[in-house]
Amino acid sequence: MIQLQQIHKYYGSQHVLKGIDLTVGKGEVVAILGPSGSGKSTLLRSINFLERATSGSITINGRTVDAASASKQDVLALRLSTGMVFQQYHLFKNLKVLQNVMLGLTDVKKLSPAKAKEISTVLLEKVGLKDRMNHYPSQLSGGQQQRVGIARALALNPEVLLFDEPTSSLDPELVDEVLSVIKQVASEGNTMIIVTHELGFAREVADRVVFMEDGIVVEEGTAEQMFTNPLKERTRQFLSKALRA
Amino acid sequence: MEKLLDIDYLIKSYPHILKYLPVTIWISVASMVLGIAIGLATALIRLYKVPVLGPLSALYVSFVRGTPLLVQIYLVFYGIPKFIYYFQTQHGWMTGIDVNYVSPEVYVLLSFSFNLGAYLSETIRSAIESVDRGQFEAADAIGLSRTQTMLKIILPQALTVALPNLGNTFISTIKDTSLVFVIGVIDIMGEAKIIGARGLAYFEVFIAVSLIYWPVCIIIERVLVIVEKRIRKYERSAIS
Repeated sequence: MIQLQQIHKYYGSQHVLKGIDLTVGKGEVVAILGPSGSGKSTLLRSINFLERATSGSITINGRTVDAASASKQDVLALRLSTGMVFQQYHLFKNLKVLQNVMLGLTDVKKLSPAKAKEISTVLLEKVGLKDRMNHYPSQLSGGQQQRVGIARALALNPEVLLFDEPTSSLDPELVDEVLSVIKQVASEGNTMIIVTHELGFAREVADRVVFMEDGIVVEEGTAEQMFTNPLKERTRQFLSKALRA
Repeated sequence: MEKLLDIDYLIKSYPHILKYLPVTIWISVASMVLGIAIGLATALIRLYKVPVLGPLSALYVSFVRGTPLLVQIYLVFYGIPKFIYYFQTQHGWMTGIDVNYVSPEVYVLLSFSFNLGAYLSETIRSAIESVDRGQFEAADAIGLSRTQTMLKIILPQALTVALPNLGNTFISTIKDTSLVFVIGVIDIMGEAKIIGARGLAYFEVFIAVSLIYWPVCIIIERVLVIVEKRIRKYERSAIS
């Protein structure tokens, strides 16, 4: 289970997250929607301390970390219990696909190379790229790179997977292959938080939908309820406009 | 009739000068290696804005870039023995060293790596800064430490960026070693001067020495092109 409590984030005097509370149960898939600049990516990135929240606490798997006073060990613990998939993939350019997936296992978890390779090969097979294992990222399409990114995030067997607009940089015809991998990962019982603009996909894959704007959670509910019968007018506006587009 | 060029002397002197090529190469390679180490340390100090050391590094780089290498060689050659002597007589330190028996090659190595360290720190710093921020974030996200991130991800990528500059600096260094004779180290240039003086045939020996530097630099340039291709192979984009 993952719980965020009263997450605040300031950039200078700009208040971008205004006390966010969010609880995600084990195996739950939560989609965070909202217009650009609503703070949804910042929220996601504050979970694994790529951004340090100004205040608030993050609890994953019973370990509560206070954002303001987190130690190096706290941060590392959070990073090991989260897997991140980036909008721009951010695969390690100097490493081959297999090494990209293995690196966290060999260098952070200190598994033997043989064991790490075994785990990584299984994951690459799952995302359909076992035959690309000895390619460099530059030799793959965007969709393939993102699937490697997902395998890399899964490698550390995290408590929760964080997706930061995983399909926003992809050519339209490559979006589906990535979405279907994410769906498959979701169906295997992984806990996931997905920041996305793909509303149809959010509706299909998410158990719960959180709508954010201006650094606050405007409304949250089950995917079904949010898309068919949102309570707030602003949610209705956003979802209907975006669905029509 | 006075000859324009004593070809015989040129040809005869060439192998004698060539015998000292290992000295030139050895000094260049060793100071390059030390220079890269100093340059990397300096670059990291400046990138991480280490207190005290940061401003000192900036001063160091500024001084080296603002004074001629020849002056730096003299400063090291005349300055360091004075310092050692001072510490020996005033504080009783470093008494194991006899300054009269320190090989001038030591001073050459010190001054060259001191000089190279400053130039290379700028090369290395800009190369590290050119690596995409996302690479650091991805490394953070999987829990790599700062050192692991540097060694496994950032430096290998920075090396590719820095390589052409490192190559140019190495070629410059080969040529700069022609200064070392001023403090008594005999390299190809030093030997050329000695033989030139012996036969009063300076023009001939300097042509000979040019015909050593030039091909050596051409060969290094070729090798660098091959190395660069190798090391850049991960950037080659070919969707197959």
